[in-house]
Amino acid sequence: MDSCLISLLTDDLLARVLDCHLDDSDRKSFRATCKFFHSVESGHRTRLKFLRPEFIPGLLRTYTRADTLDFSVCPRIYDGTISVLLNNVSCFGWARRVRRVVLSRTTSLRFSGLEMLVGSCPRLQAVDVSHCSQFGDREAAALSCAAELREVKMDKCLRVTDVGLAKIAIGCEKLEKISMKWCLEITDLGIDLLSKKCPHLKHLSVSYLKISNESLISLSRLKKLEALLMVGCGLVADEGLHFLGNNCPSLQVLDVSRCEQVTSDGLISVIRGCKNLQKLNVGYYFLDLPTSVFHNLTDLKNLKTIRVHGAQVADSFFDIISTNCLFLVEVSLSKCEGVNDTGIIKLVSGHPNLKTLDLTCCDDITDMAISAISQSCRKLVCLKLESCSLLTEKSFNYLGSSCPLLEELDLTECSVNDKGLEYLSKCLELRCLKLGICTNISDKGLSYIGSHCKNLLELDLYRCVNVGDDGMGFIASGCKKIRKLNICYCSKITDKGMAYLSQLEELSDLEMRSLIEVTSKGLTALASGCRKLSELDIKHCVNITDAGFWSLAYYSWNLQQINLCYCAVSDVGLCMMMGNLTRLQDAKLVNLANVSARGYELALRTCCARLKKVKLIGSLRPLLSTEILETLAASGCRIRWD
Amino acid sequence: MIRKKLETIPPSLTQIKLIQEDIDTKIKPQLWDPKTMLTNLSIMEDKIHQLQELVQLIVAKSSINQPNEFLIQQQQLVTADLTSIIIQLISTAGSLLPAVKHPNFSSNPNPNPNPNPNPSAGNGVGSLPQHNNSDDNHDSDGNSHGNMVSKMEDQSHETDHMDVHEEHDDDIDEGENLPPGSYEILQLEKEEILAPHTHFCVICGKGFKRDANLRMHMRGHGDEYKTAAALAKPHKDPVTEVKLIKRYSCPYVGCKRNKDHKKFQPLKTILCVKNHYKRTHCDKSYTCSRCNTKKFSVIADLKTHEKHCGRDRWICSCGTTFSRKDKLFGHIALFQGHTPAIPVEEPKGGEAVGGYNHDHGDNYNNNIEGSKEVGFFDFNFNSNGSAGDPSVCFSPMNMESCNVNRFQDFPRTLFEDSDNFSLLLPGSCNYLWKNGGESSSKDL
Repeated sequence: MDSCLISLLTDDLLARVLDCHLDDSDRKSFRATCKFFHSVESGHRTRLKFLRPEFIPGLLRTYTRADTLDFSVCPRIYDGTISVLLNNVSCFGWARRVRRVVLSRTTSLRFSGLEMLVGSCPRLQAVDVSHCSQFGDREAAALSCAAELREVKMDKCLRVTDVGLAKIAIGCEKLEKISMKWCLEITDLGIDLLSKKCPHLKHLSVSYLKISNESLISLSRLKKLEALLMVGCGLVADEGLHFLGNNCPSLQVLDVSRCEQVTSDGLISVIRGCKNLQKLNVGYYFLDLPTSVFHNLTDLKNLKTIRVHGAQVADSFFDIISTNCLFLVEVSLSKCEGVNDTGIIKLVSGHPNLKTLDLTCCDDITDMAISAISQSCRKLVCLKLESCSLLTEKSFNYLGSSCPLLEELDLTECSVNDKGLEYLSKCLELRCLKLGICTNISDKGLSYIGSHCKNLLELDLYRCVNVGDDGMGFIASGCKKIRKLNICYCSKITDKGMAYLSQLEELSDLEMRSLIEVTSKGLTALASGCRKLSELDIKHCVNITDAGFWSLAYYSWNLQQINLCYCAVSDVGLCMMMGNLTRLQDAKLVNLANVSARGYELALRTCCARLKKVKLIGSLRPLLSTEILETLAASGCRIRWD
Repeated sequence: MIRKKLETIPPSLTQIKLIQEDIDTKIKPQLWDPKTMLTNLSIMEDKIHQLQELVQLIVAKSSINQPNEFLIQQQQLVTADLTSIIIQLISTAGSLLPAVKHPNFSSNPNPNPNPNPNPSAGNGVGSLPQHNNSDDNHDSDGNSHGNMVSKMEDQSHETDHMDVHEEHDDDIDEGENLPPGSYEILQLEKEEILAPHTHFCVICGKGFKRDANLRMHMRGHGDEYKTAAALAKPHKDPVTEVKLIKRYSCPYVGCKRNKDHKKFQPLKTILCVKNHYKRTHCDKSYTCSRCNTKKFSVIADLKTHEKHCGRDRWICSCGTTFSRKDKLFGHIALFQGHTPAIPVEEPKGGEAVGGYNHDHGDNYNNNIEGSKEVGFFDFNFNSNGSAGDPSVCFSPMNMESCNVNRFQDFPRTLFEDSDNFSLLLPGSCNYLWKNGGESSSKDL
């Protein structure tokens, strides 16, 4: 019967099913159905994310269509690893398929490895090397051999200079997208050369660079430029923006937030020149945004997103927006002054399609505004109301009854109580709920959430001091999909609550600072149940003893980041953990009272080849051997001395 | 010694007229006096006899060839005599010419602070018949005279440094479009050009090592140069500021800067002549002591180069070096396919832990890392025999790729970083290798 049914499902049909963006767990169960499904899935999957280097050859062999490889969470990729993979007979040919490679945070991959990789992947189109602290000009030179490259992301590659950028600009003429946020060594010269050599550039991020108006003059040469992100470019001023406005009519996305010298003049000329602007992000330093700017917004018929942070907003802004920008999808007015009920009522009345509304710290708005929002914007998906302390139960009632599509709701520091949560639990699509510092919430309120919001992925209960073990029980039994949970300072929670949480198989990120009631028993239960746990913060959980850490070392293989500060772990416990947790990349080990210098030394030696980041107390520095410090430094691990 | 010609093409007739007037004014106050000339000639005769005797004396002494102290002293006395006589002779000969207004020189045959009349001073106006001496005679004459001048004055050898800041614009004045004939063309002989002078006579073009000598020389051009003001700044004198523009010709036949060239382009100043001649028609004899490759014929060029030599940190893949980053980037932007080479600097014992000392530390780290990774590499394959025996070809391949990269980028500095290997030896290197090897074998 089964085989008969399955034979009806052809490859095509199954592939169609897989085309619907299934998440990882769904794919996993699909794969596990039978051999046929498994083979269909392996022939369909194009993206591979490696968790451990030892799995890579097998995965490359199985997934013959994989053209996107993600090494970002794989502990250590060395030049040698690449060489072995390229010459491994069993998975031969993978390199010819590869189009995209994510090498973010692979701190030990250097130019020789990159050169080999780039040389063997003729179709390589996109590379992500962001946050590779060792990535410098030589590595950029290796990357520039990929002539087909269209996308490069090298955020925070602190060692890349103009020379490296020039290499890429000259080697990869087809470049369309490049992000060099935080590459602080890059200057106007590099940007100028880039704009001369890469005429096809469409997306560009130069955020936080020390570039001046000269760069904008160079960039205005790019006739195809669509998106320009330049957050925090303190030297860029209005003259530069005039050039953009006059020469780049194709610009669609502009982010000039935190550009201290940009004033409304520059903004006006951009708004006048770039009629196709869809996304505009201005914020901070626009402390008084004059109405003249908003009057010019009437030209922007296609504007979809507008983000204005920390500015003074006049009533006319809302008038103009609601009558002219009819296609607005996202409005963000966080920390703006002058946002009040009447403004919001005007704003939402013309925009039934609004999906995202950020009113963080607009603390003048009341239930009136929320009522208008919920009546007009039925399609609202994301609403941020942090610190809107005047809102009452009524607001949550409106939202619960009128915004069924709501997925993300931020009510941090709002006076939400159990009744409010009952109303909100009607939002069945809710995925992310932030209830930090809502001290009125108790276990009862969480029971509503647990019983209705089955899709919840992320829950923030930071400092909800009245939440206890039972609340954890409701959440654990109802919201099975939860991945990220914050229960810091919910000090009522004990081992019992931990036992409940151990039922959350998908939980990968748990912050539980200062849960002083939790002991080794609780941690053991958690570790044995939540096997996907990859980030754990147990700072100040002082009652967990070595037994707990042993079980953590035994069960939590997937742990990538851990914060153990102020814990009562001993030398042996620390060494066990550091040695056994083979995916661990980031450890915070400050003020471990029971660990000796020798214990630290041994623990670091057991994991020095894997760690990418470690935080230690400064006084430890002279007590550690120079060998271990040099080894850590040589393998690209950053030590943060507290 | 200096040949000066006037253009006699019709458009310049006016100028010739102007010069003629000038000559007239100079001659007028002075009378054509054959008597004085005769006396002068006889004085010269006497002096020549004296000279002959002296020289004979020298010849006799040198033939004896007994270099004792007494003889040397005598020789010095003789040379001093000789010098004074020759000077008197020259001054007298100079006073024979009608252009010289003050025959006092001749009437006073023993002028002790010698005013240094120039034998060519008479040529200054150029309308008089030239001396019929051959070039060689001219030359030796001029040289001996120059030597004497420097002997009389206190001699010091600060010569060559003086032209460090001379202008280098001898090839820049292409755009100047003076109609031919609207200017006077002067052509210095190559010996004069190559003489280490920095002060030049605006009238005749003669060069001097010191301004004092030039001022002394200027007195020979006429009385107006004898006033205190003129002695301070001779060229400011309004009378000699002849309206005629002076341009210079290069003595090298066939050169575009030579007046016989079809598309003759004159040089603006004597400095231009000097620099042009040295740069274009002379051997480049000054070699940079730092790089031992760049050669210059003008010492100032060498000095300028030495200021920057070794600081050319900005290198293009084509091998061209730049001292400024923006120049390199301009070059790269201009030429298709050129890329910047990643600068290699000699590591000066930097810290192993990266830090922000990017320029020095980066390379240092690179080298350590590179070799360490090769170490990793070998270790992997030794410990991991199941990889299908690729170890034989991998490790060298990896090394080779590094080398190739370096070859492409730094054709010259390839072996400069051999120091780095010595840095690898001390300290914890073995530990690094061993440790790295272990962990990676565990990972893979």
